[in-house]
Amino acid sequence: MGGKPDTFESVDWTETGGRLSTLSRRDRGALLAGLALVAAFCYDFVVVAADQPTITFPVEWNVTQLDWLFVTTLLALLFYVVVPLYGNRRLTAYYWREFRKNRMAVLSLFYLVAVFLIGTIGPIFLEQPGLALERAYQPPAYLSVDSTVPVNCIGEVVNGQCQGTMEHPLGTTGDGKDILVLIVYGMQVSMKVGLISTLLVVTIGTAVGTVAAYGGGLVDEVLMRYVDIQLVFPAFFLYLLLTYLFGGSLFMFIIIFGLTGWGSIARLVRSEALQRAEEAYVTAARGSGAGTLYVIRRHLVPNVSNSVITAATLLIPGFILFEASLSFLSLGDPTVPSWGQVIANGRSDLSTAWWVSTFPGVFLFTTILAFNFMGDALRDALDPRQER
Amino acid sequence: MRWYVVRRVAWAVVATFLILSITWGLLAITPNPAAEQMQFQAAASGGSAEAAEEAFEARRGLDRSPWDRYREYMINMATLNWGWSQSRSQSVTDAIASALPYTAIYSIPTTILSILLGLSIGLYSATHQYTKTDYAATFFAFFGYAIPNFWFGIILLLVFGVQLGWFPVVFDSDVPIFGLGMVQQLVLPVVVLVTGTIAGIMRYSRAEALEYVEAEFVKTARAKGADGYRILTRHILRPAAVPLMTILVGDILGIFLAASYLVEVVFGIPGLGQLSYNAIIAQDTSLVLGTTLIFTFVSVVGNLIQDVAYTILDPRIDYGDR
Repeated sequence: MGGKPDTFESVDWTETGGRLSTLSRRDRGALLAGLALVAAFCYDFVVVAADQPTITFPVEWNVTQLDWLFVTTLLALLFYVVVPLYGNRRLTAYYWREFRKNRMAVLSLFYLVAVFLIGTIGPIFLEQPGLALERAYQPPAYLSVDSTVPVNCIGEVVNGQCQGTMEHPLGTTGDGKDILVLIVYGMQVSMKVGLISTLLVVTIGTAVGTVAAYGGGLVDEVLMRYVDIQLVFPAFFLYLLLTYLFGGSLFMFIIIFGLTGWGSIARLVRSEALQRAEEAYVTAARGSGAGTLYVIRRHLVPNVSNSVITAATLLIPGFILFEASLSFLSLGDPTVPSWGQVIANGRSDLSTAWWVSTFPGVFLFTTILAFNFMGDALRDALDPRQER
Repeated sequence: MRWYVVRRVAWAVVATFLILSITWGLLAITPNPAAEQMQFQAAASGGSAEAAEEAFEARRGLDRSPWDRYREYMINMATLNWGWSQSRSQSVTDAIASALPYTAIYSIPTTILSILLGLSIGLYSATHQYTKTDYAATFFAFFGYAIPNFWFGIILLLVFGVQLGWFPVVFDSDVPIFGLGMVQQLVLPVVVLVTGTIAGIMRYSRAEALEYVEAEFVKTARAKGADGYRILTRHILRPAAVPLMTILVGDILGIFLAASYLVEVVFGIPGLGQLSYNAIIAQDTSLVLGTTLIFTFVSVVGNLIQDVAYTILDPRIDYGDR
């Protein structure tokens, strides 16, 4: 997909003999970036002490395991979504025209990009809110609440009503944490959960699906029977059991989601790849001596990628919701301010401080809604084969 | 076809067996929270942590070979001897049996309501495609699908329980099961669950019915003067019902199980979900295991029923394919 399209004449056929040379320029770039990342990780892991920040410039940032995974995910997104879209502008324009037909989806896209950017960049500049009991239960700006609710009102008190201030635009929790800041941190948590788990799921699912389809026979049988079992275990209870057994850190969550959630993608990829494997171009490639791995990488994966991207977009909201549900049940990571956790915190104060549970819930709802709208529109735009 | 059904049932048994084995493996490799607590207590009161661990293991039979433990675990599972719940001082099966009625009283109305409403709205949307009602229904479906159940429950409790005072905020399990009081306190949980599950049924029944709205045989029936209701029930619903079976059992079960878990915690209904949740909080491993496995078995059986019903209802299915 990258750069100029290969034509029969432009391909240097003597060069395709070697393993590495069959990689496209983009694959080589991704490989280099990946190696650089691994080197940086090793540096952080071996050289820098655990409690020392990894980088001090431009901001002090102690890169955690999760951050490494997140950076990897962003790189993968860059090399396998952004670069191909940029390199193939005519196709991109066509997708955009199809996508634009759905106004809600365009709106969703802008919303999600905003959430993604604010969530990724915001926490670097905003300090994680700490306990500040003297600021507890401040109402949101332009709203007021009976002055007995907050311990001391930061804004004015008019007629016994405490007025909200712009200092805390969405109010504060019972611990005096600013809800807007908590929401920004929650955006990061949701984006990490959604994107990293989806990357894991897509990678494993695509690998298993294509290998099963192209390998056939016993390989297919064993892999698909395993997928059957994984799918029959209701995801939520699998997560519940695993979180109970292994503890609920966000890193653990994402790993559990990623390693157990790929069943449906593998099935989808397998059935798609089975169809593609029958196509003439695969026969032609095999006829001219292409190996199994080459056919899978060069012909099957690119040709199933559209349906995988669509399915993945629809998987993301599920992961975000699972994470929020688990942290709502206080089985989540207590150190990470996730939306579910803030909702759970505000639950006992509903009758007095309604804003604590309401705002994170609104963001959770709109994010899930936006992913669903976008997935729907992507299916229409990317997948002309699919029946509407 | 009989051969397929037999194979499918056998596969369900094998899957159950494998799930139980995997669960056993997970339990075997993770440290038991109760054992850790015991060690901590022993160490805190000046005793030896190792001695406490050994005593604990001997009492639980953990000092035997893995094969013996595995065999005993499997036999216990098969004979419904699911262990003793420490936090509730009763056997796990008793605890589950006492919680089951509370799960049933809201899940049965929810299932009936969401199937009835979902099907009728979906069929209506299909026959009135691209009207305002259709758009409203589609929007409602997206809304129901996207709204987090637990949050929706909280908001409804806030508005209708706290502000308006129409429904009780705290679930009272002493209210007689077949009475108005029970109906009143089940309205909100049922509404929350129905909005969550109805979306899938609506979207699928709309999509399935749309395939037949313009079909030749529907046109013929219309030309012969069949009225709208007859066309809908005899000519559209019948062929559409078969693929609908898949979603009815499979997906709904998945959403429903997770949703009911959260809804029980939010509304304080002492059903299976809350039992399981309290077990997790109390670190009562055998009860956690028992309650999670119940949900899993429901899902295994649901999938089995779905597949078998599918093959019986639709003779076109190719049994060689999966």
